[in-house]
Amino acid sequence: MADTDEAAIHMPSQDSGMHIDTDLSDETQDFRMLNSISFLTDGSQQTLPKRGEKDFEPNPTLFQADVLSASRQAMHNALSYPRLHHPKTQVIGVFAPNGPAPPRSAQKLDTITEESEPSKPAGTGMGIHADACVYVSNPKGQYFKSIGQADRWNRVWLLPEEALYLLERGSLDIRWPCSEVGCADGDETEDSGIPMSLQAAHAAFMGRSGLTSERFSVYTGLRRLGYTIVRAPGWHDEEESADSSESEPMSLEKPQSASLVGIFNQLLQWLYRPSPTTALGPVAGLGIHRSYDNIYRSLSIIPWYDPTTSSSPPPRATAPYRVVFHIYKPSTAFKKSAPPAPDFRLAVVNARTHTTFPTSSQLGALLESTPLDPPVGEKMSRQLYMRLRHGYRNVILAVVDEGVVSYLRIADSAFGKENIYKEKNTRGNKGPWRPRPKGR
Amino acid sequence: MASSNSLPRPAPETAAPGKSESSQNHASPARPSRPARPPRPNYRLIHRFPFPVEVHPLPPLIPHNPLSLVSVLLSYLTYFISPPHQEIYSAYFDTATSSVHVTDPKAIKALWEMGFFGKGTLSRSEPSWLEREKKRRGLLGGMTSEEVTRQRRTERRELKLERARMEKLAIEERLKAEAAAREGGMMPPEQSVLSPTPNGVTDGTIPVTEKFSLRKAREARLLESQRAVSQDGSVHPPTPLGKRTPSGNKTVRFSPVVQAKEFVSDSVISSLPEKPVDRQEANEEPVLNNEEHLQLSTEEAFFLVYGLGVLRVLDDTRTDVIPTSSLLPLLCRHSYFPPRDPSVDLTPDDPFMISYVVYHHFRSLGWVVRSGVKFGVDYILYNRGPVFSHAEFAVVVVPSYSHSYWSETAERRAHSEEKMARSWWWLHCVNRVQAQVKKSLVVCYVEVPPPTSYELDTPCEGDIGAMLGRYQVREMVIRRWVPNRTRD
Repeated sequence: MADTDEAAIHMPSQDSGMHIDTDLSDETQDFRMLNSISFLTDGSQQTLPKRGEKDFEPNPTLFQADVLSASRQAMHNALSYPRLHHPKTQVIGVFAPNGPAPPRSAQKLDTITEESEPSKPAGTGMGIHADACVYVSNPKGQYFKSIGQADRWNRVWLLPEEALYLLERGSLDIRWPCSEVGCADGDETEDSGIPMSLQAAHAAFMGRSGLTSERFSVYTGLRRLGYTIVRAPGWHDEEESADSSESEPMSLEKPQSASLVGIFNQLLQWLYRPSPTTALGPVAGLGIHRSYDNIYRSLSIIPWYDPTTSSSPPPRATAPYRVVFHIYKPSTAFKKSAPPAPDFRLAVVNARTHTTFPTSSQLGALLESTPLDPPVGEKMSRQLYMRLRHGYRNVILAVVDEGVVSYLRIADSAFGKENIYKEKNTRGNKGPWRPRPKGR
Repeated sequence: MASSNSLPRPAPETAAPGKSESSQNHASPARPSRPARPPRPNYRLIHRFPFPVEVHPLPPLIPHNPLSLVSVLLSYLTYFISPPHQEIYSAYFDTATSSVHVTDPKAIKALWEMGFFGKGTLSRSEPSWLEREKKRRGLLGGMTSEEVTRQRRTERRELKLERARMEKLAIEERLKAEAAAREGGMMPPEQSVLSPTPNGVTDGTIPVTEKFSLRKAREARLLESQRAVSQDGSVHPPTPLGKRTPSGNKTVRFSPVVQAKEFVSDSVISSLPEKPVDRQEANEEPVLNNEEHLQLSTEEAFFLVYGLGVLRVLDDTRTDVIPTSSLLPLLCRHSYFPPRDPSVDLTPDDPFMISYVVYHHFRSLGWVVRSGVKFGVDYILYNRGPVFSHAEFAVVVVPSYSHSYWSETAERRAHSEEKMARSWWWLHCVNRVQAQVKKSLVVCYVEVPPPTSYELDTPCEGDIGAMLGRYQVREMVIRRWVPNRTRD
């Protein structure tokens, strides 16, 4: 009876956390809620505004018109709030088009050591990411807790996406370097003093060292939501993903403890059971069946993929199905010097260049590059559905279609590892009973 | 035990009336609007066997009790002397519609009750047309699930109409008040609160508009019915209303005009069951043949034949049994439209082979696999069966051509790419639908082996088990990840 299904649609879900009922970001806002935030007065009022109720159809009442205009007015009010940059908190960065380099004053002193190194990995020699292209001499503010890398001259180097993100949100002012502008006379001052426009920053940083607009929109979107997001080893296509070394194949299989009686019983069953005939059927076997478990066991002739056994040379994850970002929840304590294991691993796909859903081998290689994350825990061991949904490995795919990002969590769930015919009383989510075949 | 097919089925709908009344009395103080529900049939008993196969478990062997060994031996002896008979049901394959039909009522009952195989051609899933028809003609009491659904829908529609009417009334009242205020030259009180203050900032409170939810309408109705009771002095049973409140607080309002139209057209249908009763009184004895039969999907039929050996499929003439060895090629050819010619060779990526591999895989794990066409997927998976729980997983089958054979020539590469291609739009579509019906989307990849002629050591076509063993399935659960919700 499909009734149960239909009923489930209307009922509040048992595990509503697993399902997405309403997505707040999909709705049109009633902006009147913004009125309750007092922008211009003090910031002591910390309560979040309540959301309004909406009408679905226009009607000729003045009341509705007033509600609409009030909402519109509230939005304009919020937008017209003057955003000020206090000179005290101003952070100035300098564009370094040739990648990380020591300051000019230090360069003169260190010429002997610097000469031995080639120009490109100079940054790596300093312990800075080679793709970093903006440095900040006076790092101030909370952003630098999770953004950028400091060198030994107390400058923080920013990757292109980090610099663009800070610039876009008005926390950073980027200056052109002297070499670009051509005023190389001031040898003591590092920055030229000519500020870089937003357009120029986009032109300079976008496309630099693998930063595509898709990756950037994922980066900024998650940053704005409070996540900490860093580049993963799979960022550059040519680099071998070092992440796979994290995955240690754990054996979850427990040896079946067979008692003497069990062995004897199995022996009896084996003696009696005719060998199953899979060539022309019936796979369940001819003759008398002793139990449904035996029937199920002989029916399982289809091989299935076991995610816990990784293939010995792990297949290479090919672009774009590579982990490019490691994501940390806002609640995860993040330390730049020793980043913890990421909460999520994310691959970015451009839906316009890769129009089709990935194939089994592409997804398999991507999942293989993530460490094993088996469903363990008290809750997981009790709930079959939760276990299956969690899977043994998981990755997040950000599908970017012309700037619209859609995130998909892909879990390698081995249904073959869960013989639900054996589940006597532990049920998926509800229901207390499971029928036992009673022969006599 | 041997007659396990003729299960004692407790007639569910003819439930003892006294019992239901007492339950109503119990429930009445707490929830007066809830009508007594006829007790559910004992599904645990009806569907206690997962397959239409009889099992004869051995008596338990207890080592320290030598008598138990005797009972084991005795049971062996009994089976040796009189081996139990396994029922083999008949179905026939209809070439014109490429489907498998079961017409024997006993077989229909057994296949549905033990493993939920097939679908009634005139019903939603369980073949219940005869019962429904009898009830419609007033031969039986109670309601079928289809009728319950229809009644629920009618009630819901009625409530929505009521809500729309109330909303309309409120709008009219407001319009009147506004007109009066305009004439009087003063603002209605709510409006003055609402209107933006001169500097453009209102006081920030959101005006509480009256919410015309379904629940409100229902409560209003309940009150009305209670008032009617108190006026009459006699006890009317409260009008049976919808049993559940709409989940969530997001209410969608519809245009009252459209609602009214829909409702009128449907209310004719819903009032239909009363008419045949009168007609039936005129001609006393209605001849009621069961016009319904059970339709098995090709995967189900092949599983019953090949996997369990409890079904034989007859050909169009309904006299000759199609042997398993020729049933598989037949079903493979019929998985295309129009069916392929017998001269065309079978390929390993026949749609039937791929879907059967998935069907067999999930069945062998204990899931009850049913068609997911209503949800835009290939299969839906029930734990134990549709009467026990809602299907949590929806399976989409995608072939995978990872074997080097499929990328050897440009032609093969193009073929496999075409078969594998699924657009992102399609995936998002399916995924959104599954989220709406509270299911998890499972993308089931089936690794397609090269044709048997490619590898020398592969078994011959006749060995179905070996052929199926060359495929491999891999399941991936896909879910929308909403960053807003995982922040903690």
